[in-house]
Amino acid sequence: MASFDKLAEKITRGVARKTSRRSLLTWLGAAITGAAVIPVLPVSRAMAAGNGGHGGTSGIPPQISSNPQDPGDNTQCDYWRYCAIDGFLCSCCGGKVNVCPPGTEMSPITWIGTCNNPADDRAYIISYNDCCGKSSCGRCLCNRNEGDRPLVRPQANNDVNWCLGTESSVYNCSTAVILGVATEAK
Amino acid sequence: MGGSSVRLRNLASLLLLTAMPALAAQYPQPLAEEPIPAVATLPATYPASWMLVHDMNFTSLLDGRVVLVDTAAATENLKGVMPAGQFAIFTAASKRPEIYVAETFHARLTRGTRTDVITIYDRSTLAVKGEIVLPGGKRGQFVSTKNSFKLTNDEKWALLFNFTPGSSVSVIDLESRKILGEIDLPGCSMIYPTGARGFSTMCSDGTMTTLELGADGAVAASRTTKAFNDIDNDAMFMMPAMVGNMAWFVTFSGNVQGVDLAGPLAIPKAKFSLGTADGAVTKWRPGGWQVVTADASGLLYVLMNPAGKEGSHKDGGTEVWVVDPAKQQRLRRIKLASPGVSIEATREANPGLVVARPDGTLDVYDAGSGTLRKTLGGSIAISPFTMSAVQ
Repeated sequence: MASFDKLAEKITRGVARKTSRRSLLTWLGAAITGAAVIPVLPVSRAMAAGNGGHGGTSGIPPQISSNPQDPGDNTQCDYWRYCAIDGFLCSCCGGKVNVCPPGTEMSPITWIGTCNNPADDRAYIISYNDCCGKSSCGRCLCNRNEGDRPLVRPQANNDVNWCLGTESSVYNCSTAVILGVATEAK
Repeated sequence: MGGSSVRLRNLASLLLLTAMPALAAQYPQPLAEEPIPAVATLPATYPASWMLVHDMNFTSLLDGRVVLVDTAAATENLKGVMPAGQFAIFTAASKRPEIYVAETFHARLTRGTRTDVITIYDRSTLAVKGEIVLPGGKRGQFVSTKNSFKLTNDEKWALLFNFTPGSSVSVIDLESRKILGEIDLPGCSMIYPTGARGFSTMCSDGTMTTLELGADGAVAASRTTKAFNDIDNDAMFMMPAMVGNMAWFVTFSGNVQGVDLAGPLAIPKAKFSLGTADGAVTKWRPGGWQVVTADASGLLYVLMNPAGKEGSHKDGGTEVWVVDPAKQQRLRRIKLASPGVSIEATREANPGLVVARPDGTLDVYDAGSGTLRKTLGGSIAISPFTMSAVQ
């Protein structure tokens, strides 16, 4: 962890030289707030349906927030916060949509997505922090790539194992944490 | 247990005893005794129908593997396995009978001290013949991306991409099994071997930077191209198909971008379009993980998705388009019997086109006619992300 800030600073400087201000702010946001995403079988939801991953075929009862302003089933890949997630959903793995499962460690760094909440029509900045230190959860695999870009732009890429800066690099599942309302619509 | 079933069993034994003399007469000699232990070995040179398949084993990522598959034989298609732990990456030498797996372990499986290591396998025995421990716990971990681990300098050196999230490349001497050095790559990703001793890397401002290396493994010269990768609007997929020293990339919206890596500087060529076609839900775009491959004659094969849009680039595809990059012309479309995630052509004279399906099954098509030759199922791989045909 000690060297982590230095490395983040180093790459931030590197990125700053070469990218627009808006991209830089996105990356800084990711570096400061921390979080993560992980790779998933890169298959469309349609193709994966029936694979036990998501949709009505998962056999997992719906989990719906009591707050109508946070609509949808957070065990399903089409839940609004998951617009750029890639991994096993922690809400199916002993954690919650924004909480890691017991005994795992939440990654302090990640990349962020901007997802539209259909209930209030606001764009929210979502941090996809990975949970680390136990093996693959294996449930509710979800891969959505709205705004995802290749590894050449890691701050916008969900193919990275973001269990970085954690005690263990072993990936368990991914959360989707609200960081705030995006000031700029997606 | 009831009395009737006991009686039935006795009857069955009686029938067997009566039948035995007749069966034995048919085979006067018993089967020969067999030696123990017995372990299979492989030919020193793999046939062109063989392929190395990276199975990331998504449901237990720390226990991935590289599977050696014969795509042509009628039986015994799974030839052997090399473990590949925790978002590993492999590369195979052609001038030395070795296969290298860069992998990561924790001392207590999921916790404890992290060790990154290049494990060296013997091509004929698939036994471990050595290892190179990599200090610092910085090996990049990604969904299998071939260009994170490549060879250069006539295959004497390996280049391994690190991500912490600072980017760097380790230069490793495979003959002495020592690390020569590390090159920082702020803002750049991946390794595209270029020239006799060096590599290019893709940068977040849309350029490529080529680094020539000295005999000591340090950077001797570096040069950067103009920006040609429009990451916002039409990003290049990170893994190209190689035809000699030409790297053929495809882009999210369906262009082909050649980059000449003969060296000493990466030279991007003019882009051309894969074209449009009927049968699209929205529009045809490349989709999947390993979306472009080449056969020995230099034809390209691109996995295409009929519902192309922003965010569809990993959704897999239902057709493979065959393209002659020299003529910048699409030759034909192969309609897949089942959708695929990744594709790889063999370098056989009559090439096979292997399509990895979302459930891990591998379909082998005749690349020329587009007909389905065979299906390799039975969990030959759980999560096959990349495939590398024998060169």
